[in-house]
Amino acid sequence: MTQQSDHNKLKTFVPIPARPAPGASNSWLAHLRQQYFSTVLSSALTVTTLFLFYLLMSPLVDWALVKAVWSAADRKECYSVSPDGACWAGVIHWFNNIIYGRYPSPEIWRINLVFVALVLWASPIFINRFPHKVMVFLSLWLAFPGLASYLLLGGEHGLLTQLWFGIACAILTIIVLALIWLVTGRELAPGHSALTRLKLPLLALTIGACLGQQWLILEAVETTRWGGLFLTLVIASVAIMMALPIGILLALGRRSELPVIKYLAITFIELVRSVPLITVLFMAVTMLPFFLPNSVELDKLGQVLVAISLFAGAYMAENVRGGLQAIAVGQTEAAKSLGMNYWQNMIFIVLPQALRLMIPNIVTSFISTLKDTTLVSIIGLFDILLMAKNMAIDKKWLDLHTEPLVLIASIFFVLCYGMSQYSLYLERKLQWSH
Amino acid sequence: MKSTSPQKTDTSWSWHNPVLRAWFYQCATIIIVLLLVYYLGSNIIENLRLMGLPFGFDFLSSTASFDIGWTLIDYRPDMNYWRVYLVGITNTLVLSLLIIVFATVLGFLMGVVRLSKHPLVAILARAYVEIFRNIPLLIQIIFWFVVIFLELPKPKHSFAIGEAFFLNNRGFYTPELLTDSPLLMVLLATVVVWVVYWLLPRGLKSTKSPQQQATKSLAMLATTGLKWLGYGLMLYVVFLIFSGNFEWVNPEKGRFNIEGGMFLPAAFCAALIAMSVYRSVTIAEMVRAGILSVDQGQKNAAQAIGFTQWQTLKLVLIPQSARSIIPPLINSWLTIVKESSLAVAIGFPELVSLFMQTSLNQTGRAIEVVLMVMAFYVVTSLLISGVMNQVNKRMQIQER
Repeated sequence: MTQQSDHNKLKTFVPIPARPAPGASNSWLAHLRQQYFSTVLSSALTVTTLFLFYLLMSPLVDWALVKAVWSAADRKECYSVSPDGACWAGVIHWFNNIIYGRYPSPEIWRINLVFVALVLWASPIFINRFPHKVMVFLSLWLAFPGLASYLLLGGEHGLLTQLWFGIACAILTIIVLALIWLVTGRELAPGHSALTRLKLPLLALTIGACLGQQWLILEAVETTRWGGLFLTLVIASVAIMMALPIGILLALGRRSELPVIKYLAITFIELVRSVPLITVLFMAVTMLPFFLPNSVELDKLGQVLVAISLFAGAYMAENVRGGLQAIAVGQTEAAKSLGMNYWQNMIFIVLPQALRLMIPNIVTSFISTLKDTTLVSIIGLFDILLMAKNMAIDKKWLDLHTEPLVLIASIFFVLCYGMSQYSLYLERKLQWSH
Repeated sequence: MKSTSPQKTDTSWSWHNPVLRAWFYQCATIIIVLLLVYYLGSNIIENLRLMGLPFGFDFLSSTASFDIGWTLIDYRPDMNYWRVYLVGITNTLVLSLLIIVFATVLGFLMGVVRLSKHPLVAILARAYVEIFRNIPLLIQIIFWFVVIFLELPKPKHSFAIGEAFFLNNRGFYTPELLTDSPLLMVLLATVVVWVVYWLLPRGLKSTKSPQQQATKSLAMLATTGLKWLGYGLMLYVVFLIFSGNFEWVNPEKGRFNIEGGMFLPAAFCAALIAMSVYRSVTIAEMVRAGILSVDQGQKNAAQAIGFTQWQTLKLVLIPQSARSIIPPLINSWLTIVKESSLAVAIGFPELVSLFMQTSLNQTGRAIEVVLMVMAFYVVTSLLISGVMNQVNKRMQIQER
């Protein structure tokens, strides 16, 4: 009997009682506790950080939003409405000046048009599916200035400049058509049959754009009237565009096996890198007139562009050198054994690989050039910073310093932060593709 | 060029001879450079002749006759332009040195904070880095000066800490140390001697191999002498501290102004804070990268052989991360010396402002002035990078 009952006992399965549920570990409350209040130190940090954040943000929000004045005729009115709030009304009044400088207001559409053209022209570089990115970049580098200078400078031009503008228009049309085809889903790559069919109309467009300028002469706008964010972007873009070839030549010179060329390049790079940009700018403004024959008419913007380009070129040279060093020697040896000479090897084998590696660095140096461009305000070019400072001497907005500075600081922050995030993304992409 | 074998050197006078071609290219470069120099030089001479300006540094001895807002070395308006140059250099160097100290300390602090695993702290540190990195330095300097320092109360209503420190819209006032003992100079000399001693190659200091000792006996004697000089100076410093008479003079609040004590003008304070914060961000990123670059295995291995937490940090992690932090750190110090010239934008009397603006405008000697200012920056850069190379050599892994 006992045996049987034992047997029965064995047969009945008595489960171990389940453990209590782990105190709501998946709830957001537990997550919060684990992340922010796990130890005494961690809780103290949480509280301190939050308090610090409150301490910083509450007066800022108060000043910039809660007590701010958005529309007023002048500073006095701002002040009478809310004495310790931001006077955004002034910034809104001056916004066009801060962006476009003293460019005549009926002509501002030209700047906008150039900007739209630039965005359209450059967009293929950022679209993964678009073929021939290198050609697009080269055309942007070589032809786009023709379009930009025609529209921005205005006035009469020689025949060569007209041709330059015509070619730029034709290339822009091709790119826009290609973008439309890409969006509508047609394939571009094999044969380019659509483009070959368009040969004649494009030729007609080029000639038309050339000749059209005879009848359509835009009002001339001198560079002394350029200013604001527009001038800042022009200087930074020209500087980086010129810095690339200068930097590549200097870097090749520095790695050259010919001692004369090597030491000349090293001297130039190291001399330029060891002085501050502001002294180079002062030199361009005060010393360059001595270097050139008396007959040459100098344009302050031109002087500054030369100085910043050379300066950025010396820094770019070090970037390029880094890129060149990253390319394995085997590549050069293979090229040589195929019978390529120095330039063939550089142009077709080494530089394409090195430049591809350098794209993130180029973006980074564009950011620093963009930030450095503010220095031209010290020598009296009306860039975005000087326009913002000038606002404080406008009679209606006397002594309004903070608001324009905050505005331009946020413009720079958005531009530079966006670009730096983009260069980080490029870096990751390059790492994956290896 | 690696020639395949010495017997096969090409001696023909043809374009396909690489040696000949190299010579041709280099001669062509030299000729082009010389032509360029000749062209620019003749233009300069012609332009100077047309404007009736002589070339030369004789203007340095003429009286400057303008006042300088803030000087560390003695200066009066009846002194000459050479003195102005020296004042500019000292002001630039003092500003840069202070920025270097502040930026480095702040940078190390933020670099460590940036590694925090606490999400809120990490976000705040990231915001600090991104905000100050992505706004141009010049805007930050002007912001600190115009929006913060010029908006401070007038001298009558200065902020005060006790009777010693005052802060108002003119600047910052601190007590001044009045003493007749040469303590500061001696202290500086001591530091210089020890730094030089530390930078000397290790071979000179080791007494291990008798052969080396024999060949380098003279150099050895000099190094030992340097070492004892360092000890001597240290003793002298201690002696001076105990024997000298020191007096702290507090600034005094008058009716309209604050007098006495040491005065740091608002432009100086704004430039100092703005540039320290701006560069601290770069330094913080270097420190962070340096600490992250040490292999995790190093830490595990150190703990596996029984090192304590502190020993791991001191003997394993810090030396290894220092190796990757120090070269870019010194590079950023170099950048700071160059960037300090931006203080010109808010009227701080440093080298560029005093010499390239005021003196140049008064004398019209553009070429000489620009050359002198650039020479200062080039020499400073060469000195710092020379020291940097020595430091790099000392920090490198010693291989047997």
